[in-house]
Amino acid sequence: MSVLEVEDLSIHFGGIKALQGVNLRAGEWEIVGIIGPNGAGKTTLFNCITGFYSPTAGSVRYRDKDVTRLPVHERTALGMGRTFQNVGLVKNASVSENLATAQHLQVSYDPWAGIAGAPSTFAEERRVAERSELILHLLDLADVAGERVADLPYGVLKRVEIATVLATDPDVLLLDEPGSGMGPEEAHALGDTLLSLRKEFGLTIVMIDHHVPLVTRVSDYVYCLNFGEVLAEGGPDEVRRHPEVVRAYLGEEPEEVLAG
Amino acid sequence: MTQTPVQRPGEDGTTETAEIPAVGTHRADLGPDATTVLPPVPPGTPDDELDGDDADGLAEADEEFRPRRAGWLGRGIVWALLAWLVLAYPVNVFSPFDVGVADVDIASRAVIFAIGGLSLNVLLGYAGQISLGHQAFVGLGAFTSAFIVTNLQLSFWFAVVAAAVLGAVQAVLLGLVSLRLTGLYFALVTLAYGAFAEQTLFGISALTGGEGGKPAPRPVGFESGYSYYYLCLGFLVLVLWLDWRLTRSKAGRALAALRENPRVASSYGINVRSYILVAFAVSGIFAGIAGSLTAHHDEIIVGSSFDFRLALLFVLMTVVGGLRNRVGVVIGSAFFALLEEGAFVEIVESVVTALGFAPHFFQNVLGLPGEFVSLVLGPILLLLTLTLYPGGIGQQVAPVRGWLTGGRFDRHAGEVKEVEVTDVRA
Repeated sequence: MSVLEVEDLSIHFGGIKALQGVNLRAGEWEIVGIIGPNGAGKTTLFNCITGFYSPTAGSVRYRDKDVTRLPVHERTALGMGRTFQNVGLVKNASVSENLATAQHLQVSYDPWAGIAGAPSTFAEERRVAERSELILHLLDLADVAGERVADLPYGVLKRVEIATVLATDPDVLLLDEPGSGMGPEEAHALGDTLLSLRKEFGLTIVMIDHHVPLVTRVSDYVYCLNFGEVLAEGGPDEVRRHPEVVRAYLGEEPEEVLAG
Repeated sequence: MTQTPVQRPGEDGTTETAEIPAVGTHRADLGPDATTVLPPVPPGTPDDELDGDDADGLAEADEEFRPRRAGWLGRGIVWALLAWLVLAYPVNVFSPFDVGVADVDIASRAVIFAIGGLSLNVLLGYAGQISLGHQAFVGLGAFTSAFIVTNLQLSFWFAVVAAAVLGAVQAVLLGLVSLRLTGLYFALVTLAYGAFAEQTLFGISALTGGEGGKPAPRPVGFESGYSYYYLCLGFLVLVLWLDWRLTRSKAGRALAALRENPRVASSYGINVRSYILVAFAVSGIFAGIAGSLTAHHDEIIVGSSFDFRLALLFVLMTVVGGLRNRVGVVIGSAFFALLEEGAFVEIVESVVTALGFAPHFFQNVLGLPGEFVSLVLGPILLLLTLTLYPGGIGQQVAPVRGWLTGGRFDRHAGEVKEVEVTDVRA
């Protein structure tokens, strides 16, 4: 059974066909990479999957349940967790506050019980803090727990963002450029982190990234998007060598360039 | 080591004074260890003068700060003064001043305004939703409470609960509009709602008594201005508790997230729409309580007293007090209550007169009649807040607050560092 299945997905903004008949599938425990030049529609695809946009046509299925029309927070409740291209965090709050906020659905008490200050909510708040600490520890972020998000460098924020997504207790992670702003070594470490997260939490991961070495190393399957359509799909090496993909990235086939 | 008697003087029946000589001798014996034991030197001994906060502030800048005895004493005195000012002064306990009934009514008004300010703070501060119709929130609670007590002859306690519930209901109805409209357009809707309530709802004679006003007798046991003041304080404590728990629980975190970035909030699994409505409901509850207390404070209320000026005053005291800052909002609200009731003008004029200026300083020297001072001063304070102290009074008192809770006096405490939030591309 596939965890995530996108079928014939199209979305049009006025005359612009941002996505056109896209099919995508992610199986249990798979890491699926999505590559493609800027403006190919990768983030738009994520927005359709997570519910920020409603597609013009086609469907999104999550564990055989049609979620095409569900609002974002309900998809999060089902187990979809996503990160954003430019850091989706509450910037004026501290890292640990973000972690606590992200645990929203795990907090057992009713919001009104929290406002009234019912005794049980105090104990639950302590558990929330403990869970935050645990997750931060796991991602080596314990020393920035008290820092305000706006004061931290971009590379750290990308990791904090992964920590907050984990705090939502996801089943499938949708990562939008987790390696942006990272050097080759950091990107390599990120790859290790992703592989270990999959192992420890049993996660399915769909990731967009421009870091081709990172994507080909960790992915089981890769899609290449261009102009809103799937240009190529297959194993990482297969896609990387696909002539259409090379053309999309470089404009022309390298042989021709050399020959000319 | 022989530190035990030093740490626990008077343990075996001896009085504390009997131990003092022993402290001195031990200190000499103990050598370097003595400093870590910190013997309980009673206040008044010469050692105390050396134990100032500034002295150790320089020495142990990086270590966790612990005030010395003199520091604690100073903090204790300020706390006691504050407690006296709030709890005892308005009702003439331990007080050289004579506070009349009219004066304690102003103090009650200040407390009620604080509840109103906290109500708007939930919307404007926590949820980021403007309300220019907050006088209607309060007025509805006031007339509900007055109607229940006067016409239905039910108890005040039932009336205040009903006012809170009705306040929440009308706020949620307005909140449903805010889900459709944002920013300026929603502000206009609240403005229109306030005007509508004032002109229409509060003009229904059968319910509100029309021009003649609606009587709202004070509850049994709280008829006098002095005891009513304590009733208001009790409700303020309740509202402060709810407000504190709101910010420290899941609803408050959800609001903080959705105010800054609704997209991120929803990706955390927060139902943005329903939490906006929660904020409206909480604000409505607080406003309903403030309204009920206003009604029984004035004992007779008329619709025209819930006009747009009151709404403006609520915005002023919340912003000048400092959005999202509980202490600041309370102080700001109390200040504007004094200003509105003319007490501030009176205090300033009596000081100025004592300094040798002509009496009625505002009227005679500045050419500004006393009743207009609040209209002029409010916007000036608003501008100063927005340009110089975005954190409002809350930011200005933050160093004192940090000091009072056992920290160092840090001039830069409480500086607001809100960042502009660029919309997350999603």
